[in-house]
Parts: sequence; structure tokens; C-alpha cells
Amino acid sequence: MAEMKSEATQPVVVTQIAKAKLTLAEVQAKLTGKTGRRFWKNLDELAETEEFHELMREEFPRQAGANEWVDAVSRRGFLKVMGASLALAGLAGCTKQPDEPIFPYVKQPEDLVLGKPMYFATAFPFPTGAVPVLVKSDAFRPIKVDGNPEHPMSLGKSDALTQATLLDLYDPDRSQHVVYRGENSTWEAFQQAFTAAAKQTLGGQGIYFLSETITSPTLAEQWKQVQAAYPQAKLVQWEPVNRDSARAASKAAFGSYVDAQYKLDEADVILSLDADFLGGIAHPGFLPLAAAYAERHRYEEGKPMNRLYVVESMPTVTGFKAEHRLALKPSEIAAFAQALVAGTAPAGATDEQKKYFAALSADLKKSAGKAVVIPGEQASPAVHAAAYALNEALGAVGKTVVYTDTVVPMPSEQLADLKSLVAEMNAGKVQWLVVLGNNPNYSAPADLEFPTAFAKVPVTVHLGTHVDETGSVATWHINKAHYLESWTDARAYDGTISIVQPMIDPLYGGKQAHDVLQTLLANPQGSAYEAVQATARGYIQGDFAAGWRKALHDGWVEGTTFAPKSVGAPKAAGLAAPAGGGIEISFRPDPSLYDGRFANVGWLQELPKQVTNLSWDNAALMSLNTMAKLGVEENDKAELELTGRKVVVPVLVAPGHPDDVITVHLGFGRGAEAGRVGAGVGFNAYTLRTTTAVLSGADAKLTKLSGTYDLCVTKVHNIEHRGAFAQHDLNQPLSDANGTYSLAGHEAMERGIIRYATLEEVKKNPDFAHEGASGSLVNKVGYGVEGETPKKDESFFPDAWNYEKTDPSSLKIQNAWGMAIDLNSCIGCNACIVSCYAENNIPVVGREQVKVGRNMQWLRIDTYFEGDLHAPRAHFQPMACQHCENAGCEQVCPVGATVHTPEGINTMVYNRCVGTRYCSNNCPYKVRRFNFLLYSDYETESLKFMRNPDVSVRSRGVMEKCSYCVQRVEAAKIQADKENREVRDGDVVTACQQACPTSAITFGNINDKASKVAKRKAEERDYPVLADLNFRPRTTYTAGVINPNPELA
Amino acid sequence: MATKVPLQDPNLDPMIDPRTGEYAVIAPGHNFKSVTQKIAGIVLTSNTPLGWFFGLIVGATVATGLVIGLTWLFLKGVGIWGVTIPGAWGFAIINFVWWIGIGHAGTLISAILLLFKQTWRNSINRFAEAMTIFAVVCAGTFPLIHVGRPWLAYWLFPYPNTMNVWPQFRSPLAWDVFAVSTYATISIVFWYVGMIPDFGTLRDRATMPLAKTAYGILSLGWRGSTRHWMRYETASLLLAGLSTPLVLSVHTVISFDFAVASLAGWHTTIFPPYFVAGAIYSGFAMVLTLAIPIRKFYNLDDLVTLRHLDNMAKVMLGTGGIVAYGYGMEVFMSWYSASHWEFFMMWNRMFGPMGWAYWMLILTNIAIPLTSLWSRKLRVNVAYLFVLSLIVNTGMWFERFVIVVTSLYRDYLPSSWGTYRATFWDYIIYIGTMGLFTFLFFLFVRFLPMIPMSEIRMMLPQTKVDRGGEAEHAIEETV
Repeated sequence: MAEMKSEATQPVVVTQIAKAKLTLAEVQAKLTGKTGRRFWKNLDELAETEEFHELMREEFPRQAGANEWVDAVSRRGFLKVMGASLALAGLAGCTKQPDEPIFPYVKQPEDLVLGKPMYFATAFPFPTGAVPVLVKSDAFRPIKVDGNPEHPMSLGKSDALTQATLLDLYDPDRSQHVVYRGENSTWEAFQQAFTAAAKQTLGGQGIYFLSETITSPTLAEQWKQVQAAYPQAKLVQWEPVNRDSARAASKAAFGSYVDAQYKLDEADVILSLDADFLGGIAHPGFLPLAAAYAERHRYEEGKPMNRLYVVESMPTVTGFKAEHRLALKPSEIAAFAQALVAGTAPAGATDEQKKYFAALSADLKKSAGKAVVIPGEQASPAVHAAAYALNEALGAVGKTVVYTDTVVPMPSEQLADLKSLVAEMNAGKVQWLVVLGNNPNYSAPADLEFPTAFAKVPVTVHLGTHVDETGSVATWHINKAHYLESWTDARAYDGTISIVQPMIDPLYGGKQAHDVLQTLLANPQGSAYEAVQATARGYIQGDFAAGWRKALHDGWVEGTTFAPKSVGAPKAAGLAAPAGGGIEISFRPDPSLYDGRFANVGWLQELPKQVTNLSWDNAALMSLNTMAKLGVEENDKAELELTGRKVVVPVLVAPGHPDDVITVHLGFGRGAEAGRVGAGVGFNAYTLRTTTAVLSGADAKLTKLSGTYDLCVTKVHNIEHRGAFAQHDLNQPLSDANGTYSLAGHEAMERGIIRYATLEEVKKNPDFAHEGASGSLVNKVGYGVEGETPKKDESFFPDAWNYEKTDPSSLKIQNAWGMAIDLNSCIGCNACIVSCYAENNIPVVGREQVKVGRNMQWLRIDTYFEGDLHAPRAHFQPMACQHCENAGCEQVCPVGATVHTPEGINTMVYNRCVGTRYCSNNCPYKVRRFNFLLYSDYETESLKFMRNPDVSVRSRGVMEKCSYCVQRVEAAKIQADKENREVRDGDVVTACQQACPTSAITFGNINDKASKVAKRKAEERDYPVLADLNFRPRTTYTAGVINPNPELA
Repeated sequence: MATKVPLQDPNLDPMIDPRTGEYAVIAPGHNFKSVTQKIAGIVLTSNTPLGWFFGLIVGATVATGLVIGLTWLFLKGVGIWGVTIPGAWGFAIINFVWWIGIGHAGTLISAILLLFKQTWRNSINRFAEAMTIFAVVCAGTFPLIHVGRPWLAYWLFPYPNTMNVWPQFRSPLAWDVFAVSTYATISIVFWYVGMIPDFGTLRDRATMPLAKTAYGILSLGWRGSTRHWMRYETASLLLAGLSTPLVLSVHTVISFDFAVASLAGWHTTIFPPYFVAGAIYSGFAMVLTLAIPIRKFYNLDDLVTLRHLDNMAKVMLGTGGIVAYGYGMEVFMSWYSASHWEFFMMWNRMFGPMGWAYWMLILTNIAIPLTSLWSRKLRVNVAYLFVLSLIVNTGMWFERFVIVVTSLYRDYLPSSWGTYRATFWDYIIYIGTMGLFTFLFFLFVRFLPMIPMSEIRMMLPQTKVDRGGEAEHAIEETV
């Protein structure tokens, strides 16, 4: 496949035998590159020729034969239509029409069985390290991106962003042309102009590249060659969210750039200093770190459990998974970290903080050699320096952390480079600025006034997937190929190189950074494929052809993993903590949109953000105290000011947020350039961000404006008193509540929806999930006899669904599908939701619909805040259809559109559904989703390519919900039938289960007592949610166990 | 139902029957001719009052809102409403239950009171029945349009089809289909059969050829022969017998829509009786809302007397009491059940973000009517009764709102709590059905006899056999 593709990416050379005969392809070739008047002139000239008439007769016999052709007016009109179609074919529109005549398969390609997907290994190059993926391809269309199970840095797991790159590929707003000064042009024209210009310079003087972080060793190699040819050309890497802190600290401590690789499987005690390593790939090594953390956090008798401390500012999923979380301002975090190094509590710490500090330092010391400190990428360099020192002091180096070469081939301190670039731009030194992949006009620090400097450059080139803020004002815009359309290579967290191979021909003939750099080299037409192969010869050992094939097949190159690097003891860095004071502001990459590059991906826009469950917007996040201090309520409009720059923001509470800090997420507030989805969503936090306040800033001001802005939070929609949360005291006062606790969270505990215990409690009472609560919570219905599933003989219908019977004729075990979700492992990272989106063709409904509660995700992560909202404990619970054995929905559907299969799956018969919505009312879990309007996009061509052909696209007026990925169940059964065997445990993997980085989700046949799911369900901690309603859900949850430090209990 | 008044000088109020001391059902002085003339005159007059045109146009204009609303609804889908998850039912179901409930008074008056030989019902039963039918028309619209794919709503009917698929008979919505369609059928038949003798009268009195033909066809050849009368009476009795259980069953089945579900606030055995009582309560309120302006406008105070209003107010007092008991029991059971679900539901209903709706309900449905209706003075105060009837109708609408919305929006799983906010389209469709109702009702009062002439004539003293001589038959006058 890979080789096949490489040939297809070669430019198609149209060779014609008979000159008299003209083909459409030729006509197109003749017209290519002609725009405006020239296009029409050429077409008109062409139309005069005999060959064209011949072609017309062949292609459009009806029109050609008709009299209109002679009539000048009609002929002109027809030419217009004809011309438009010629111009559009293959370029515009979203469908890639082949240039050559096409035929149906007379002889089917050997490797293609229609309806049977193929899987290809590749990697998603991301600045924090490549994510190894396995792409499902149906009839050569990529339809699902999952982790590569054979890659040690993925093991088949994936994350929300990687999953969503699929929709990014099929984004209908991707740029489709090379544009020169607003007019369509061609790649060849650009190449000509670029090489001509370059040759005129003195060794490339005046040619500057501004690239996103280079992840590809091949690209780095190409850059070396470019520099050899043009020694004066310069390249600057810059991204708005970068690793400058780590780079600066590493340079100061070790004298060189190194990456830290953490081995959490070895760690008993983990301290995260503002590191959201469970939040997603914004943190390097998310997948292996999350997997190792969860494995060590899994409770099993006799197995030591890890303990996580998190000191952070913005509450993250990592913070809420922690046994002990301390909320500090960004400026205090550095002081806290330095105090840990020094061993004395930070000055001005509160009693609570001192207690935390003492317990933490004692615990770290006790676990020396088995402890690790992880600094956050958005923390200041001082935090990184402190982490190096702490890890050294704890003896962690070589055990729980190793230092290696950097994953990216050309590490740099990006902000400093950008600053000098802008200075040179302003000084008029830059003749050609080639922007490779990023969007500095949108995201560069505001005080650099990058757009002004950009306008000063005579010729600007922008390579990007969208005609974005930079592309729309650049002299040249080159449409960039998506990574699923590209040849390149990249290194994963552990340094292993993956070769990125294209899954599909570039939909719009896009180009890559490889092609741009190659233009300046000896062989300007050399393809990225050749370039990657050339570099690969350096790192593939043994027979190249075999090694190449193996690398493509496996998704990684053997023997390229980094060896630990000996760096010596870190030198005391002397890096200052960031300035604090007043209201601090903290800039964070958005958990869904990252730095804004995913702004036009509807799945991610609509995805409820971790912790806040905010969808379709960003907000000024702050604590309840800060809100009170600033005199604002949730949803208020306010003006946020930092060093004189202002932006209008909506206000939202983030429970557990430190006081006097406002967190804003980057990546929003895009204009129309972002595309149909991303335009006008949220506010642009980059407008506040300056070179002196990149990660955080001090002395921000927030002024209440009149009016409100209704944020859409999917957790509790439009609750009037959400600002104050529930002040109502339900039964009895919570002793330390201060009147601010979440009614929903409180109820979730009382109702036994969330059950957990500490390690000590579990040891005392392993059956705690059924017999009694932990802590001071009063049992209402949750635990004890009342919270349990009624015994079968208590029911009027004791044997309504007996799944335990076996088929006497074949002695087969009847399949009874069930799911178990380990709440201890769930980190609330949202990967499962996006995976479900892709697998089940779930529509994106838009902001207004989400706001009223009509989001369509089949799976959601319920987030409950327990206790005082100033410092709550949060619980994450994935919630999808529970496939109840006594399903309430089935009984009330008047047309029988939701029915039970003999294997216990509650299925929706979409065609039969008339949409009474009674099923949803009778569902206690409220997991059914209704197409209130026509949500599915039946119009956009490119999205049709993306859909999973095994799942129907639901129309308006139909109820839908989680199906346990019934299409995957059936596929496994068909396969098993063909092989004349039972479905084996592990044959069926649901989409959410497949994506889950921590393996929290288990699915299988619960009648097979040896299956993983049956074993999990047999555990004492397994419990059904809302058991006492006797719905008998097939999905059950494993109660969480936490391992708190007794000193902090 | 007799109202004893303190013995006072009967001359003070001519409407008080001197023999019984009660308000008369018919004002004294009427004879066969005057009754017939008065009622048939409204229909057969060539001088349609301008007010009627005005009312009809107002009704039609408001009903246009329904047409616009439905057009947009069919084009876009139910998403134009405020329904969402968790509140997947909203105005459509509330309005459906409300309208159906209103219809119940008509059936009760025509069927149960007939069987109980409550002759006072005669003056009001025709338009009460008309009200029933128009209310059912309005109500019946909602289940059809509230489904996501209304063009497939016929799948709820058990019809033979090539797919061999039947409705799912365990669903209360499937029961609704039978309950409501039976109810609509019986009500229309009963209404029509009751009008046959009057159609005969109208046919005979009509002068315009079109009216003569139309009423002639509608009268089914009624000649007023004894055999006709005998069959008519038998049919009426049979239909009354058929309708009687419907009064109880229809709203019982509709209450099952809620009671069968597992939702706290819905899942309760008290629903059937309390729904039926509520239906009759709101129905009588609606009869009052209609009767009071009509008797004023058409000068029918001699046929629809204070006796009727008083009696209807008493029925409201009784059924309202049952409803109040129902509310009380709900609150009691939410505590007595010791179920957290029930307790939370009731707490949330009363003090949650939508608590205002509950207190509106208590105020309009219980506090105002049940304190004032004990007073006879207020029961015969026409203006007060009219205002009260509007209040009770509002209250009964709130009852359904409270049941549907406040049970749904915060149920078992706190993560999925939401809210419900009706949209412009919810209101325009709801108000539009009121327009449709008004429109139909105006047509009815103009073209059909709104008070049954034959039955009123039978109540006149002249029909009583006088010991002293022959009963004064005035058959000729009816011809």
C-alpha cells in the first residue's frame, strides 16, 4: 500500500498518442494556472480548435449536436458552464475526482475486499512527540485513527486530539489551492518564483523560514542541506505553546537540551508541579505516562499502590486524580518547588500549605529512589530547574526518570528566536519569509506586533492547511497536506522513530514542508517520500528494503529508541520564579483545541472540556472567592486587562482554582479564517499574551461589564443558581461546606453513584462498595441494602431475562455482553468520547444546541465535585447506555424501536423510531440522545468520506445512543463463525475501550467466567449505578480506591 | 344538587322557583315555542351579530399561529421547541393532557349526569359536548406533532402491514392511541346523535334552501315519531353507558403515561384517580369559561341559569378537593416512602429552581378556588366565577407543567440535570390551539343548536301530565 501510494503522489504526466485527439485532462492541463481573464481567453481560444470540437462531440454528444452550439449566445453560456466544470474538477469541491478515465474494478486489487477495512500504521507528528497510530481504512479512505498496539509508546491507546485528526483531514474548509496575491496559482509557479528569488540572493541572505516545531528528522536533514546550499538562510522554530521552560532549565542545569523521560511504573510517589500529564498529549509522553500511572494506581490486594501529589494552578484532571492536590498561584508554584529543594517551607505559606509541604517532603524522602517529580510544560523554568534538582536529590535519575536526547531534532528556545526574527523583519532584513505550518499572525505574543512586521516583508509565504490569519495576508499561500496524506517521520516519547505514511492521496493536492525545503535543493521536484527514504537509510539497520517494509508495517523503526543520556548532576540554575502580585493570569493551551490548530474540528469544539465541562467556548476561569472579590457572577461579561491590553471574557467557576488567579485557555477567538466551525468561538487570549507574560502574568484586572454571555456547560445545563452552586441544605448541613458545595456532587455521593474508599478502608472492609460509605457521608440510597439490586425473587418478573441459560443443542455459551469501568483508572481525558464520535458517525450540533442540552455524544464523562468547592475532590465517571437487562426504555416505546437482543444488547432500530422520546424520559441514566433537528450533515462531500460505513447516519427525529459498538460485536461474531469457533475474549473491543489510555474500560462476554470483564464484575468493588431501581445495567463500575497520606488525612 | 336558599320572599328574585326555593333551571314563562324560537333563532337568523364575526376572526387569526407553528415544526423538527435531554417532553405533552382533561367535563355532563337523571345538565350539555370534541381535536394534534417523525406517527396504530410489525403494546403511548381515538369517536357519535331531533327542528324551520338541505341531511330523516323518539332515547342511553367508563378510563390511561414510567414524580399509583378528578375540575372550569360569556351575549340567562353555574361550581369544589388530596398525598408519600428519590423530587419540586411553578399551581388550583367556592354568594357571582374558571384552567395547566417538567429536569443521575425553557414556537402552537378551539366554537354556536331544544322542551312544566286535563302538547309548534 505504502509503495503504491508513493507512485500515486508523483505528478501525473499526460502523454497523448494522437495529437488530433484531446482529452479533458489535457484541456485541464492547458488551463491549469490560468486565472481570471487569462483563463477565459485560453478557454475561448481552445474552443476554436477542431480538437476541442471533437472532444465536445465525444463528451457531450447531446449539446454538441444541438443547434445551440452554432448559436453564439448559447454557445457562450455553455462555455461558461463547461469552463466552470473544468476549473472545478479535481480542484474545487470536496471530492477528489481522478484525472484519468476510471473504471469499476474488473479485477479487484488483491489487497482490497470491499467492506473489509484495512489497517495501516503511521504516526501523528505532534510537537510534544509523535503519537503512533493505526489507521483504519475503508476502500482507501481513512475512517478511524487509533493507537498503534504494536508500538510501546501507545499500546493501542490514543487520546482526544489524535482521534480528532481524522475530522481535521476531512475538514471541508481546508485550503485547496496555492494562492498568489489572492488569485489561484500553482505549486509550479511558486517553485519557479522561490528558486529564482533564492538564486538571486547572496547565499540565501534575506530568506527566512518560520516553522512550527520541527518533528521530523528528515526535515531537519533537509534543512541542513538547504543551509549547505544557502548558508545565509535562516530558520526559526516557533509555536505559541512550546517547551521553552524545559529547554531553558535544561540548558542552565546541564548545559545542553535534554528531554526527561519518566518511568511511572517504578514510582511509588509522584509529585506533579503543575504538570497535567494525565490531561492529554499537550504533555509529552501522555500515553505511556497515563498507562503506567493507572497500572500502578490499580488496586489489587498485595500490590503496592502509587500516590500522586499535584501542586497546580488551573484544576486539571491530573489534579483531581491526585490523592492530595494543592492549589497555588503560578508564582507560588515556583517558590514551592524551590522550597522543596531547600527543604524549608516557603515563606508566607498558610498553615494548610505548611502541613502539605511537610507531609509531601517527608513522603518524598521516605520513597527516595521510588519517587519522581514531574514539572509541567506550562510551568516556569524555575519549576523545571527545581524538578531536576529534586529528582537528583531523590535518587530518581536512572530509576524513575532518565534524560535523553530531545525528541524533536532541532530543540531551541523558541520565544527568543521569534523575538530576534521580528527584530530583523522590522529592520527590513527579511526578503522572503516562509511560514511553515504555523499561524503567527494569530498567535504571536501581542507586544511583538507580528502582523505589522509581517506586512513589512516583501514576499511572505504561508504553508498551511487553512487560509488562516497568516495565509490570508501572505503573498503566497500553499495548501498543506495533512499528516494522513503525507510522507514524513517523527520520534515518539522514547525516541523511537515512526515513518509517517500517507493513507490517502492529498485530497486537494497539498504540499508539505519537505516539498518547500526541497525546492531550494539540487532536485527541486524530489518527493518527500524520497527524502524520508534517504534519511531512513541512516537509521534503518540491515537490509533497507526489508527494513523499510517492516518499519512501515510495524509503525516504528527498530533500534531508534533513545538510550539514557548521562548528564551529570544539575547545576543550580538560579532561574527566578515568575513575578506574582495582584490578580495573576495564567495562559494554558486548551485541553481540546490545544493552541488553536484544532479550532475548526467540530468534535473538539463540542467536546466538554476536562473538569469544567465547558463546550464551545473558553472563559475566564477562577475560584468562587475571586469571583466574589471581583464582584462577578458566572456567565457575566467582563473585561480582562493585562498590561494595557484588553479582551472581553465570560466568567466561569473552576472548582478548586486558587484564589486571585484567572486562567484563560488559548486557541479561541478566531475570525472567519478559522472556518465554518471555529469562527467566532470564544475570545482570543493571545491578545493579552506578551513576551514577558507567556505562561503567566501578574496584576491583571477584571472589570464587570453589563450583560451576560451564556456559556454552555454540559454538566448541569442552565441551572439558575449555578453561580452560587446549591446553597440549599438538603437534609443536614455539611460541616465544612461554607455553603458552597455542588448539589449534584453531593447527591452523587448520597445516591451511591460514586463509591470510593481509602486504601486503609479497603483493607479493613473489601466489600465497602456494598456495605458502607467512606468518610462522613450519610447513606441515603447509595450503599447498604437499599442501594443494591433487588434480589430476583423480589421482582414480579424474576426470569424476564435469563441470560445464563446455555443453548442445549450446541452446548455453546450464550454471549452476554457487558462492560466494566474501573473508576480508579478513569482519568477523565475524553479520548473515549472522540473515539466514539468517529466510530459511530455522531453529529456535531453546535453551540446553541449544546447550550440547551442537546449535545449528541453517546458517551460522556460525568464529573462530580465532592465537598467544599474551594478545594473539592472530583470524580470522573464515563457514562453511556448501560444496556439494562430490565431496560425501562424498551417497555415504553410504542413502536418497539428499542429492543433487546438475545445477547443482552439494548439496540436502537433507527428505521422504526418515530421519536416519541418516551424512552429518554424513562431512562434513569439519561444517556439517550435525540436528533431534535437534522443534525447529521448530508451535504458536505468531504465528511461523507469519513463516515464509518458500518454505522448508519441518523436523520432528524430519531433517538440514538451507545450500542456497545454492535457493529464490532457482529464483525467479531462473523469472523468467529467463519473460523468455526466461539467469539473469544478480546475479539470485541469497543471504540471507547480501544481509545482508553488507562484501560479503564473492559468489555466482553460476562457468561464466559474466564473473561476479563466477568472477572472484573466478580470483584467486590464492582457496583451498578442506581442499582436499587432494578434496571439491572450491564455496565458496572469498579469503585475507586485512593491511597492518601495518613499525615494529611 | 338542589340548593336550599333561606326562605325569603320569592318575589325578590324571579329566578327562584317558589315551589322549591331553588334557582330554576329554566326561567319561568317559557313554553315550547319560546324555547324553540330562542335557540333555533340563533342558528337560523339572517342577522348574524357583528360580535360573532369579530370572535370568529380573532379565533381564526390566533389559529393561524398554529398553522405557522406547525409548518415550521414540520420543516425543521421538534428541536424548534424547548424540549431537550433530560426534559424530552414539554409543552406538547402538557397541552395534550390539559386539553384532554378539559374535554372530560363534556362527557361527564352528557353521560354520567344523564344516567343520574340530573336534568339541569340539559341546558349545558350540548356545548359542553362540543367543547369536548374541540378540546379532543386540539389535544389530538399534540401527540401527532410531538413525535420526531410525525409522518410516521401512524405506526402507533395496529394496522396490517407487510413488515408484520405491530405496535409495542406494553407502552402506555400505545394505550393512549386507543384511549383517545375511542374517546374521540364516542364523543362525536354521542354529540351527533343528540343533535338529530334538533336538526329536524332546524330543517323544518329553515327558510334558506342551503340550510334546509344541510340540516335535512344531518337530521337523517327525523320525523319525531314515537318510534324515532324511542330509538333516540335508547341510543342516548347506550351511548351514555359507553361514555361513562370513558370519563374514567381516558384520563386514567393518560395518567399511565406517567405512572408506568420509573421516574420519581411520575411513578405513583395515585395518578389515575387524581388525573380524572383534575380533568373534570378543569373541564368544568372550561364550561364556565364558555358558558358565562355565551349566556350573556345571546341572552341565555333564562336557559343557563345561576342554578347551572352554582351546580358546576359545586362540582369543581368536589373535584378540586380530590385534586388537593392528591397533591397532599404526593407530599406525604414522598416522606412516608422513605425513598430518597421521592424525597428529593418533592424537595426539588417545591424549592428547586422551578419551585415557582409548584407554588403557582398550589395558589391557582387549591388556594384560591377551594377557599372561595364554599361561599354560595361567590358561587352565584357570575363575574367571580368567570375569573375563577380562568384561574383554575391556568392552575391545571401548571399541574401538568409541574408533573412533566419538574419531575424530568432533575432525576436520578445528577450529571444529567438540566432545565426546560419553552421557546416562541412552544407558545405559538399552544396559543394557536386555543385559537383553533375558539374558531371551532364560534362556528358551532352559529351553525348548530348550542342548547338542545328537544331536551329543554321536555323539561318545561307543560310536559308534565296535569291531573286536571290533557298535557299541553305543542308538537305543532316544533314543526
